Amino acid sequence: MKPPQLLSRRATNRLRASTFSSHLHRPLTSRFSTDAASHPSNKVQIYLSKSTDPFLNLSVEHRLLQITPPDSTILTLYVNSPSIIFGRNQNPWLQVNLNRLAQIARNPSTAGWKDSPIQLIRRRSGGGAVFHDVGNVNFSVICPPEHFDRNKHAEMVVRALKALGRQNTRVNERHDIVMDVAPEAEAATYKISGSAYKLTRLRSLHHGTCLLRSPNLSSISGLLRSPALGYLDARGVDSVRRPVKNIDVGNDEFKDAVVSEFESMYGDVHFRGEFDDTALQVEEIRRGYQELQSKSWIWGQTPRFTFSTHPTEEDPRPRPELPFDLNMSLLARHGVIDELNIKHSDGAAVDTLDASIFQGVSIWEIDDWAESLTQAGLGGSLSKEAGAWLNGIFGTEYTSM
Amino acid sequence: MASIACSLRAARPVAMRLAPRAAPMVRLSMPARSFTSSRMTNLDFFVSSGLARKYTKDHEWIDLSADRKTGVIGVSEYAAEQLGDVVYVELPPAGEWTDQGDSIGAVESVKSASDINAPVRCKVTHTNALLEEKPATINQVPEDDSAGGGWIVKVEVDEEGAKQFDELMDAEAYKEFVAE
Repeated sequence: MKPPQLLSRRATNRLRASTFSSHLHRPLTSRFSTDAASHPSNKVQIYLSKSTDPFLNLSVEHRLLQITPPDSTILTLYVNSPSIIFGRNQNPWLQVNLNRLAQIARNPSTAGWKDSPIQLIRRRSGGGAVFHDVGNVNFSVICPPEHFDRNKHAEMVVRALKALGRQNTRVNERHDIVMDVAPEAEAATYKISGSAYKLTRLRSLHHGTCLLRSPNLSSISGLLRSPALGYLDARGVDSVRRPVKNIDVGNDEFKDAVVSEFESMYGDVHFRGEFDDTALQVEEIRRGYQELQSKSWIWGQTPRFTFSTHPTEEDPRPRPELPFDLNMSLLARHGVIDELNIKHSDGAAVDTLDASIFQGVSIWEIDDWAESLTQAGLGGSLSKEAGAWLNGIFGTEYTSM
Repeated sequence: MASIACSLRAARPVAMRLAPRAAPMVRLSMPARSFTSSRMTNLDFFVSSGLARKYTKDHEWIDLSADRKTGVIGVSEYAAEQLGDVVYVELPPAGEWTDQGDSIGAVESVKSASDINAPVRCKVTHTNALLEEKPATINQVPEDDSAGGGWIVKVEVDEEGAKQFDELMDAEAYKEFVAE
């Protein structure tokens, strides 16, 4: 990273003039300013996003991680339109119900989906898969790595929630924010916020969700349940499922409370900014945005995994019986097929089949497994049956969109 | 930090393994131009090029071979402890030169993706495949550069990288650094 550029005194004054120390003021511009973000004297900065594009919000956040002064502390608050955001080292075929995403995208009303279409995003930080919508506010704190503490800013958010009267919230042992509810029957704990982190040489990032008034709570667990679950064995990171609940606070109320807590932790705020889609005019943000949207990032960053229709030495779990007489297995690195094996269930070779044509093929580029199996020489009805089933497992209806 | 001293002992045999073959070549072919600016003798060079390990402030370690052309890189015991349980190691592709301080991989632990940075300018030649299967090796033996160890990459180092190596902290200095 280049050291922050020093500006002339006049430029400094101009930048300082556009900052606010009072909560009541709003910035004059919603344009992202690289100069302000990287200015060495802007040691405490607060950003509010006016965009609900998850790719944009994550890209601006990433740029702030790269350019803000090494000793600065930055709060960013943003809301995303419906999206599934999974961790850097996760497998989307395993974490997400891609068929459901395709149904929602193609025909939301038949799929019973009333919100806008759901976007799929691999973020740059670690952790598991989460669902975002406009009833969920995301907080993000960037600070020097020597001050990094997984609970520090989750505690900040808990203090904000308590200030809003939500006394039953706390940070649990997984660094999540939970709410303890005591109904008549028995006490229960619900997750309302999950966190993920990214550490670079000079900076650390903690970002987290907070479910306030999501209208889609009942859909979340179905969206995050993959049909490939019983057949895929993946390296990398799994998600931990927890019952979730809304904390029932308004978005603006929550944002104001978090800003107040942040201010009482870090004192004078040197710069307040807003940003919207015009941030894409910054070349590095645009590049990061394009990278997040690229198939090679979304699918190709997937850690090694195996798929097998029958128990194997590496993955001995019992499998449900298949409606066709084949035993198929594959090994993929970076989402690209390293090896695909197809035999009859009794282990006998399949005549005329040459599975080697699959070698080096990116799984997300296979639009129809039936067609590909036919090309490999698998006979008529068998390739149709197995192909249709594989299309379901690998969510081709979604990946081919 | 007795644990660091421990693993340094473990590291020595590896350096020795590299040394006998490299040493005669170093002595014979060591071009004067490498040392015109310093008045090191070959013996000084041999001692200072340290068949020892050096550390960065970002908690990576690097062993440099006697001929100062290859190295092994990993994360320190202190870092491994700070990271918590490592669940995934992202290994870099071999064959690209990386400048000092740039990322040459990442580890994930407790929902955190942490960059591993190049301690010196280097080109990755081998990655530790064991870490793909058993990422927790980084927690168990982070400073072990043998076959079953938690080393991350083997690298080629150029003159610039070798010079950068000399500026890094030795075990003693690093021990003081993390004690602060």
